[in-house]
Amino acid sequence: MRFQDAAKDARAVVYAGIQADPLVARAGALLAEATAAERLLARAAMNGERTDAGTWRRIFPTLFGEDAEDVLRSHAELVLAASLEIAERGEAARSSYRGAVVEELTARLLARRTGPDAPVRRERRVLFDGVPAEIHPYDVTLESAARPEVFDCKWGARGINADVLNQLDDARAHAADEEVPLRVAIVVFDAHRSCEIRLDRSTAEHTRTRLVALESLDELGEGRR
Amino acid sequence: MNERYRSTERAAAAYRTLAELAETVEDEWQYVTDLVDAYLPAIEALAEAGPGRLSTEQADAVDEAIAEVGLITDPHKAVDWLSTFPHVVGLALGGDVDRPTGGRPAGSDGDGTGDDGPGPDDDSPFRMLLGGNR
Repeated sequence: MRFQDAAKDARAVVYAGIQADPLVARAGALLAEATAAERLLARAAMNGERTDAGTWRRIFPTLFGEDAEDVLRSHAELVLAASLEIAERGEAARSSYRGAVVEELTARLLARRTGPDAPVRRERRVLFDGVPAEIHPYDVTLESAARPEVFDCKWGARGINADVLNQLDDARAHAADEEVPLRVAIVVFDAHRSCEIRLDRSTAEHTRTRLVALESLDELGEGRR
Repeated sequence: MNERYRSTERAAAAYRTLAELAETVEDEWQYVTDLVDAYLPAIEALAEAGPGRLSTEQADAVDEAIAEVGLITDPHKAVDWLSTFPHVVGLALGGDVDRPTGGRPAGSDGDGTGDDGPGPDDDSPFRMLLGGNR
């Protein structure tokens, strides 16, 4: 088993430009240090109809209300500002930006528990002996020689589908054939309960695919589970 | 009828309207139905999730969230918000929409007995939403 850069088609080149936008890096960095409530704010504001900050401050009194601690409020303001900047990119661009932010966030959280011997990389394929390569690369990979991991990142639970789950489980199974303990996970910037609802209806094999939802994102940086 | 009940009733009505829009995405009908089956009772149960009196901030938060989803015209966005809206309302009201029938957060019993009843587990998603630690 080995990792390989994905071929860059026209769509990938355009998306790479979005991934490289400093706004994506800023949002990812802020969300990496955010509470679960701030991440919920980001999810709501990035997908909202209104882009005035006052509206969102009123919707989230636990972050911006009288009783909110100054440190929390200050950080939540930064999260809100970045989220609204993404929202203001327009409906067409939002989805690409949101996806890029979830990938950036995932990579940053994983980097907390890795070193040079297990680099975190993006847009990589996994190749197995005698197995045709998957068309779609993995959003984020943790390329440890001993315990590699691959991650598919989704903005919402609705992005969980059979194709994604099958690709992840197939990779795990092919790696197992080569006696490599590949861990596979789907990271979803959405409520855990919604993800479970989605998964409950899926007939694709996913019992050995880890789910990391909005409320538990910090687990990505907390060592192996 | 107390303020909390009225607020959750309005939120539940907004959720039903949002679901009607989301249901027009034919490929996602089952998912929409499953979300509504899970979250609508949880939103309604927020009426029992704490004392009847809400702060002005809490009531305004729910009304603003209702106004926000009321502006949605894209059914695909409505599907997304069927997942988001319950958690936003739950966070504002201090109740747990991750539980099948809603619930109170730990320490909210308000009767001085220290018996919180069915509060969230230590690792429950709702507890993580409430947590302010970074």
